[in-house]
Amino acid sequence: MLGLTLGALPHFSFQPLWVSIIFLAMIGWRYMNSWRGWPLPTKRFSKLKLLQLSIAASTFVFLLMSYGNLIGRDAGVALLTVMLALKVTEIRSHRDYYLSCFLGYFLVVTNFFYSQSIATAALMFIVVTIMTGCLISLNVPEQSLNSRSKFKLASQMLLQAIPLMILLFIFFPRIAGPLWGLPNDAYSAKTGIDDSMTLGKISQLIASDEVAFRVKFADKMPKQSNLYWRGPILWQTDGVTWTELEEQLQTSQDPTLTHSGPEYHYTTTLEAHNNKWLFALDFPTAAPTVIKSHFTQDGQLRSDETINQRLQYELTSTPQFTFNIDDEPYLQQALQLPDKHHIRTKQLAKQWLKQTQDPLQLVQIALNHFNQRNFYYTLTPPPLAGDSIDSFLFESQRGFCEHYAASFTILMRAAGVPTRIVTGYQGGEINPIDQFLVIRQRDAHAWTEVWIKGQGWLRVDPTAAVSKERIEQGMSTIMPLSMRSPLFISNSQRLAELWQKMRNNLDAIDNKWNQWILAYGPKLQKEFLSKLGMPSPNWQTMALWLSISISITLLTISVILFYHRQHSSPIIKLYTKFCNKAAQRGFKRENYEGPLDFGQRLKQYYPQQSDEIDQITQLYINLHYGKQSASIDELRRTIKQFRFKKS
Amino acid sequence: MTVVLKQLYQRFNQLRGRRIFIVPTRFGFAYVVFLILILLGAINYSNSLGHVLCFLLGSLGLVAMLHTYRNLAKIELKQAHAKAVFYGQDINFKLIFDNPSSHDNYQIEVSSKQNTHRSWNPFKMFKGYDNPQMINQLKPQQTTQINYLLPAQQRGLYALGRVRIASVFPLGLYSTWSYFKNNVTALVYPKPEGSLPLPNTTQQGKNFTSKHIKGLDDFSGFNRYRTGDPIHAIAWKSVAKDNVLRTKQFTSPQGGHLMLEWQAVAQIKSLEERLSQLCIWILQAEASEITYGLRLPNSVINFGHGEIHRHRCLAALALYE
Repeated sequence: MLGLTLGALPHFSFQPLWVSIIFLAMIGWRYMNSWRGWPLPTKRFSKLKLLQLSIAASTFVFLLMSYGNLIGRDAGVALLTVMLALKVTEIRSHRDYYLSCFLGYFLVVTNFFYSQSIATAALMFIVVTIMTGCLISLNVPEQSLNSRSKFKLASQMLLQAIPLMILLFIFFPRIAGPLWGLPNDAYSAKTGIDDSMTLGKISQLIASDEVAFRVKFADKMPKQSNLYWRGPILWQTDGVTWTELEEQLQTSQDPTLTHSGPEYHYTTTLEAHNNKWLFALDFPTAAPTVIKSHFTQDGQLRSDETINQRLQYELTSTPQFTFNIDDEPYLQQALQLPDKHHIRTKQLAKQWLKQTQDPLQLVQIALNHFNQRNFYYTLTPPPLAGDSIDSFLFESQRGFCEHYAASFTILMRAAGVPTRIVTGYQGGEINPIDQFLVIRQRDAHAWTEVWIKGQGWLRVDPTAAVSKERIEQGMSTIMPLSMRSPLFISNSQRLAELWQKMRNNLDAIDNKWNQWILAYGPKLQKEFLSKLGMPSPNWQTMALWLSISISITLLTISVILFYHRQHSSPIIKLYTKFCNKAAQRGFKRENYEGPLDFGQRLKQYYPQQSDEIDQITQLYINLHYGKQSASIDELRRTIKQFRFKKS
Repeated sequence: MTVVLKQLYQRFNQLRGRRIFIVPTRFGFAYVVFLILILLGAINYSNSLGHVLCFLLGSLGLVAMLHTYRNLAKIELKQAHAKAVFYGQDINFKLIFDNPSSHDNYQIEVSSKQNTHRSWNPFKMFKGYDNPQMINQLKPQQTTQINYLLPAQQRGLYALGRVRIASVFPLGLYSTWSYFKNNVTALVYPKPEGSLPLPNTTQQGKNFTSKHIKGLDDFSGFNRYRTGDPIHAIAWKSVAKDNVLRTKQFTSPQGGHLMLEWQAVAQIKSLEERLSQLCIWILQAEASEITYGLRLPNSVINFGHGEIHRHRCLAALALYE
């Protein structure tokens, strides 16, 4: 029961409250039964039986109401939890007990749909140990084995199982899933960059410490200020929300790209985000090979499938590039403005247009405007009233990347310069432990690109005009410590630093865990096995290796299990040697035979050696039974020299 | 060559010891089904920890097999014996098991089967073991005596039969069992019952040393009338024959001689009931300290008394065909 509760524990955070309450109530009921003898739902207590059935029925109804189905992931797990709890209240036979234990194991698996962290794995081991202990106690009554030794046996068995588990994990031929269609909610919603932007949205991300992706550079790494990780590109606005180009507008024509300058090779481990984009450093030379992917018209790297599990891909990028120098097919979209919005902003742009027509100079004017006027970079901007862009530009003047990017785009478009917003991540933090660049959700960023004929799309980051630190040193430097560490330690600088260090370590471990354990699928298995020296890892060779290694391990375990350890003194060992010599001649010393009797028996058959036999027996008796006058060396020598002669 | 191989095989067999069978129980099969479900789920969701759990449980299953096997591997049935009982009682076979290994053995079920003849169906060999009895624990490097009770359902020599030890410890996923052949038997006396009274003691036999104590219970013969004898003791019927007054002599059966005759129970139809009657007589005779003997159609047991004599007589009854 404890095991079941522990197994279900992580679910409480995902499930509706009432599911957890029913679960705990049922377990409590059962507990009170065994502790205080409360009645359980049986035929004798028909009212209780009725209560139980009504709980079961209402669970079905409620689940259908809240999830709309019963076989989806969330609904299925909730159903399993409640049904398991109800089963516990009516355990009567052996069979019920086994079923609950097996379902308990199953419940552990469902945990992994939500989290596969190290902590979850540790919890799994604990739960499995307890369940195994329960299975043992099912087969042994309390009087012959107390609970402590039961759990000792359970953990002993699990420890012996671990080497086998590792072998199975490495060699068991992996099959790429999914085998059948997954329910819609198979992958839970993830925080991350969206395909649309409404002012104030990214600020939710900034509060999030979650890892978006990790990057390992092969050799060198570009400057922090060049670390622009391109995500979805936003073109269209209705005055409030920015969205991507509509699908039907996109043609299959590839953008014209030229690359120059140094190349950077890197491997990205992207966390699942349930969208299709692959984040890449501006600008990748080619799409990754591990997954079917393509560049969109606006230069975004997109996979053909939704990324619902961690993905690793290698890319090469050059920070110096040109994009659609001569011809841009979507100029109309890059100039689109909503009609009845941003009136004051458009007026400001018209004023600037009187000064100059040159797009580059217009950009500079806008940046100067942000830089020299009273604009502040803040992660906690005041709420905007009315027209968000107008009220930001002319009233609050406090905001972060998305405010600057959006208002800059409106200004430029009003001035006739084609502009688009690029969302993604900027910067990242090097973990000193394993040298991985960790990009967290809080590194989410929005910047802009303007198109100038003859130069193509140029990156302009209006945020840099306001807060250079954000771009050059990364988010973590400008973020106050209080936002980066839990409240209770944020008061002390030293504690906060310690926290940071600890987190780096944990993160490095977590990364290794992700890279090796969780990512171990068909592909990584092949790579790993080739490294091990398996020439062509197909499933036949894997099965062969698996069976051979499993047999060897099982043999080792059985040797350990069956090895008959004798904690005997050297004297006994020597005497045993003597007895073995006799046994070879067919004189086995019986359990009831003392050394004297045995010696007598031997002397009957080997009369001419009776002196030696007497000597050995006497020495042994003297040594073993107290009289220390004899020397053990003498016994050793005599026994060593002793041979039975044919009589 | 073949001789060498044969020797090697025999050597191997000796090392291996008894044959120990092991198969998964129905829970074991259910366990496998669950594992396959988990594996399918893990594959479908490409869930790495799901694989880990599945493999962990799978390995646990393999390890459990070794543990279950080990629970029986070294156990030996050292000795078995039982005291004779009467029909209908329980025979208490004292089985002495030896656990020479260095670990405890738990939850061993002992059962036995009398009928060991071969059937055309090899699976019959595994069936028909009843009277299961649980040994909770066999301590390491010790012998343990258990009382294995079998109801005595047949008169005569009752064989313990093939002893089967079985265990599902520790997880109940596997069932392992093994057999011990033996020819241990227990003697089952007839059921002591019957309504006929114990016959009178007689003067037959070799010696007349036993005392004649006058009593009132049993008729023992006639004496000439002497003055002073009670009038009611006069045998009036014999006076009519030869005009001599005799008195009937009564004695208490103490110390008398009694030959329990097969003829005495001839009026009882069924053989078993006859034997039962003789049996209860033997017990009664033993209890009242009479020197008694037994005459059966195929054997005679002379007068005697005491525990051993009683056993001889009862054994003769038990084995009477």
